[in-house]
Amino acid sequence: MHDQRVGSRYVPIDGNGMSVHVLNRRQLLQQFGGGMGWLGAAALLAAGGDLTKAAETTPAPHFRPRAKRVIHLFMNGGPFGPDLFDPKPALAKFEGQKPAGADLLTERPTGGLLASPFKFRRHGESGLPISELLPCLSRHADDLCVLNAIHADNPNHGPALLQMNNGTITPTRPSMGAWMLYGLGTENQDLPGYIVLCPGRPVRFSILWNSAFLPSAYQGTYINHSTIAPERMVPHLRNAQWDPSTQRQQLDLLQQMNANHKTTRPGDSVLDARIASMETAYRMQFEGSEAFDISRESTATREVYGSGHFANGCLLARRLVERGVRFVQVYYGDGQPWDTHSGHNQSVTKLCSDIDQPIAALLADLKQRGLLEDTLVVWGGEFGRTPTSENGNGRDHNHHGFTMWMAGGGVRGGMTYGETDEFGFKAEVNKMHVHDLHATILHLLGLDHQRLTFRHAGRDFRLTDVHGHVAHEILA
Amino acid sequence: MMLRLLLLLSMLACAPAMVIGDDLIFSDGDLQYFERKIRPILVEHCYACHSSQAEVLHGGLQFDDHRWRTEGSDSGLTVIAGQPAASLLVESIEYTGDLQMPPKSKLPEAEIRELTEWVRRGAPFPQTHATANPRAEVDYEEGRKFWSFQPARLQPLPKVARAHWPQTRGDYFVLAGIERAGLQPAAPADRATLIRRLSHNLTGLPPSPEDVRSFVQDGSAVAYERLLDRWLASPQYGEKWGRMWLDLARYTDQTESWLLQEGQSHFYRDWVVEAFNKDLPYDTFIQQQLAGDLLPDARPADLAALGFVGLSPTYWKELKLPCEVIKVIVADEWEERVDAVSSTFLGLTVACARCHDHKFDPISSADYYALAGVFASSRQIGRPLIAEELYEPVREAKAELAQLEPKLPKLNAEVTRLKKELEQVVAPENSEAEGDEKTDKIKPAEALRAELMQAEVKLAEVNERIATLKATPLFDTPLTNALSEESLYVERAGEKPQDGTRLVYRPGPQNLPLFSRGDPNRPGEIVPRGFLTVLSSTPRLFTQGSGRLELAQAITNEAASLAARVLVNRVWLAHFGQGIVGTPSNFGTQGSPPTHPQLLDDLTARFMVNGWSIKWLQREILLSATWQQAVEPSPAARASDPGNRWLSHMNRRRHDFEAWRDTMLSASGALDLAIGGVAVNLDEVGNRRRTLYCLVHRRELSTTYQIHDFPDPNQHSPQRFTTTTPLQGLYALNGPLLAEQSQLLVERLQREYPHDDATRIDRAHWLLYSRAATDDERQLGLSYLSDSQGQARLDRWKQYAHALLASNETLFLD
Repeated sequence: MHDQRVGSRYVPIDGNGMSVHVLNRRQLLQQFGGGMGWLGAAALLAAGGDLTKAAETTPAPHFRPRAKRVIHLFMNGGPFGPDLFDPKPALAKFEGQKPAGADLLTERPTGGLLASPFKFRRHGESGLPISELLPCLSRHADDLCVLNAIHADNPNHGPALLQMNNGTITPTRPSMGAWMLYGLGTENQDLPGYIVLCPGRPVRFSILWNSAFLPSAYQGTYINHSTIAPERMVPHLRNAQWDPSTQRQQLDLLQQMNANHKTTRPGDSVLDARIASMETAYRMQFEGSEAFDISRESTATREVYGSGHFANGCLLARRLVERGVRFVQVYYGDGQPWDTHSGHNQSVTKLCSDIDQPIAALLADLKQRGLLEDTLVVWGGEFGRTPTSENGNGRDHNHHGFTMWMAGGGVRGGMTYGETDEFGFKAEVNKMHVHDLHATILHLLGLDHQRLTFRHAGRDFRLTDVHGHVAHEILA
Repeated sequence: MMLRLLLLLSMLACAPAMVIGDDLIFSDGDLQYFERKIRPILVEHCYACHSSQAEVLHGGLQFDDHRWRTEGSDSGLTVIAGQPAASLLVESIEYTGDLQMPPKSKLPEAEIRELTEWVRRGAPFPQTHATANPRAEVDYEEGRKFWSFQPARLQPLPKVARAHWPQTRGDYFVLAGIERAGLQPAAPADRATLIRRLSHNLTGLPPSPEDVRSFVQDGSAVAYERLLDRWLASPQYGEKWGRMWLDLARYTDQTESWLLQEGQSHFYRDWVVEAFNKDLPYDTFIQQQLAGDLLPDARPADLAALGFVGLSPTYWKELKLPCEVIKVIVADEWEERVDAVSSTFLGLTVACARCHDHKFDPISSADYYALAGVFASSRQIGRPLIAEELYEPVREAKAELAQLEPKLPKLNAEVTRLKKELEQVVAPENSEAEGDEKTDKIKPAEALRAELMQAEVKLAEVNERIATLKATPLFDTPLTNALSEESLYVERAGEKPQDGTRLVYRPGPQNLPLFSRGDPNRPGEIVPRGFLTVLSSTPRLFTQGSGRLELAQAITNEAASLAARVLVNRVWLAHFGQGIVGTPSNFGTQGSPPTHPQLLDDLTARFMVNGWSIKWLQREILLSATWQQAVEPSPAARASDPGNRWLSHMNRRRHDFEAWRDTMLSASGALDLAIGGVAVNLDEVGNRRRTLYCLVHRRELSTTYQIHDFPDPNQHSPQRFTTTTPLQGLYALNGPLLAEQSQLLVERLQREYPHDDATRIDRAHWLLYSRAATDDERQLGLSYLSDSQGQARLDRWKQYAHALLASNETLFLD
């Protein structure tokens, strides 16, 4: 390295080239990308690239984290808050009408207000209002921190998906998960640190979990779990040709070749790193097979989660976070199933029956294993839906105000935060922009969104651009 | 804005304050009122974003500096003293307009009333000048003194102790650095290592065992130069070096399915390869990529060069949305072009100046919009590689088709409907219905028949016209991703925002207004198109069409030294694995300074004198003693210069994925050396093309590329990162590529040496490592094969070959 005196202060890194910081980080990635797990590069640099120091300063966050890992349940297409967590009696009162405030611009023209037929009851000690569509989840009312005034910038799926994942509406920035790995690394060197589960393909696909200008090791690993055999999920997980003992012999041969190569090239840590990573890959065949294999769960557990792709996704998410995966996203389904432009009520009934039991099971399971307290569960879509009707029985996209919730990982349960207007159209009180949501999630992970920066093309980039405020009110 | 200003002026007369010069002086009572009642509200709710304490000053409003009263914010004047109803502040805290403050939630009613009252009272505010966040002007004179903006000049050769060591001028500068650091240069690499390094560096492929043998035996200096020239002249050279350029150009073969892509990308890729192969002078290379269509002697074939801008990423524009939203997306696209062009050709991060003057470099927002106007005046469009006149009938035919084809479904449906209706009408004719009813039906049936006939004739006519149009000569001429001189305007489609957006291209250029905070919905003064002020001694405005040609000329004339330096550094980086400047796309003040400034200057000056020839530059580098050093650092270098800043030895480097795959295919004998053409799917079984020709999909990059550090084709990529991950390991152990290639390698070895395992082992080492196997290695191989027989032996061979393909010696270059 050019210069080891980087100091103990956090130093932004120049992704542009081989400045001293980059050399440090590149070598660190090369060394630790393989063998010892991806420690957060930011933390290693904070330690001046000094590995002993870095080891001392691990964990890597800027301050004490409340959550160590995140599960993001992504209702792609966009659910309608007032069906589920944000009751709006005014919708019935003004049904069919278009009073002032119900005429906001969304993607498509919509008509008058459309009442939600679903009944609400108050649940738990907190008395959180939850709709009859989610009877199982209602039992966890006291764990939920319902955010009713989230808002975003664009009512199109693509840009909104990008904003929710990458912070901007154009596809040029790293995803939230990539930032998390950059900041914190992963806890299990035998598994990718950022895993995206979808039974099919969400709209916009891989750009939603890309690493953009961050090193590619931080990008999400996409797993299509529409078939649940692990070897069908993880690319190249199994060897089609040789049994494990033959493969072990082959790997020993390979490592002997590498050892011979190294004898005349002593002291090159890059060569060591690749040798170590081949061992890791070999182990991952078995570890990975186990981590991704939900058939190893007891029948009882399988039954609690229920059946279906989303149930499988939730169970997989638990198995993965349990093994130290930093960030797991579970997309509800292929395409954008929550995008109910027509026949909204029928669709949402089915969609909710698919998610209700698995999410309740996931929360209970995490809690029972003592994982909920430092696992943040985030639920929501890329935006919400209009309180006004489209085609008489559908709802259009609504980015002006929508509902998400969080649970576990240092947020206060049994509360709602933020309010929309009387129709559930626009966020009004304690609004949280997507940037604020991101800032808050990073905060819960012990990362200051203003300090988690990466120098690229002459600028220090952040997930939250120049925006974002942490919603301190929801912290436990 | 003007209206508000007038209002303000008229109000000042009756506002409860005195005006002295430009300043307002308030009474002590008013100021006490402000400090007691108002300041606390501002501190609590506004100062986090709107004061000198703000991490990032939002909206240009600094609420703790008295100038906010007269200068307002990016959105205009904040307050019209005495007129709450006309004041933006009041509008925004009442949440009645577009701007709603504070953004998180509305203030309590009492505080809204208080602030409104304050505005009514004339918004008294003390004369305080906050010192933080000063709004400084860009100082170009001072900026021009920065090292990278100086003309590149020949440098006097430094004195060196080891005068026999240098082989080139460049070596003197490197050696001087080594000696200053108290180090000594490494020994020359042995000849087998050197030839392998040279072959990979120039062609991206391993040398043939025959070349290695004769080179090692020959031993003469001429032999090295001969090989160097042979490989520089080989078609594989352009394939290797073209890829370096395609990273910068964010090359993609395919873009998102929902975005318009009329042209075939490979024309641009193949043009780049060809440009390297024929050593197109770098200044011409720049000019053709920015203005290949506008050069005086432009030929249709040169249009392929326009892919650098023509293949720029575009973003989805939902035309149902209000144009305010779409304008932001279009502005983002222009920013991308400015970023790619300025980073690639000038090593400057001009895009930083979209929202405010560049924080570090002498680049103003006006400079940014002067450049962005060039791209706002250029349309990405598919163009044929033949004369535009010849193609004009096809364009006309296509325009007509675009009108006709959408009509087809409706016409077809009409015919179907009429047929069905007729059937229903005719059917009862055969039934037992009463005569009266029958006659009732006859008439409509006849009418329907006539209508049907008419509809069928119309459909036939349209179909015939479509067929005729498609038969236009040259109709299927492929298009390249080029540019035309048209400007994009984003307009409201109807009268209301709800009516959505219309994108209109109009011939001729446009100048952009300076967008306040980068927001196209807050246009400021119009900025004429032109070049960066810091790089022009007198203002260089662009007046010919979009200004692309003038931009290209400005880069290769006014900015010649900078443009050449940036390229010289990129080539140096690609040969050594480290740049003289560590930030290859940032030669601004935030970039890293050159480790060897005289070397960079001297090399750059000579590069320009030698006709901007990249091959000249590479000969100069490859003939140097510096480049021919061995990789092992001396103990002293290991201790005092572990990052090899002083180049006292060569750097060991890992192949990128392309070189690794091509090496495997080359060793197995499978490599198809065909040049150019449409891309092939990377992971397709039986794909034997060089990796350069494998499909890059901007939206769905192959997983294989993704796990092997392939750069994101959505944006300019200054250099590759190398990571080592378990997913790469899984690919090496279990992926289909290595399984297939090990099989092919074994078949080749068996074919060449049917009876002798030891010779096969040796041959495999020659093919992959460019050297013979050692006795130990031969023994290791033989013992792995042991005494297996038949299929088992074949399996052992495959496992052995597979291990060689995945081994570090295959993957790393000394």
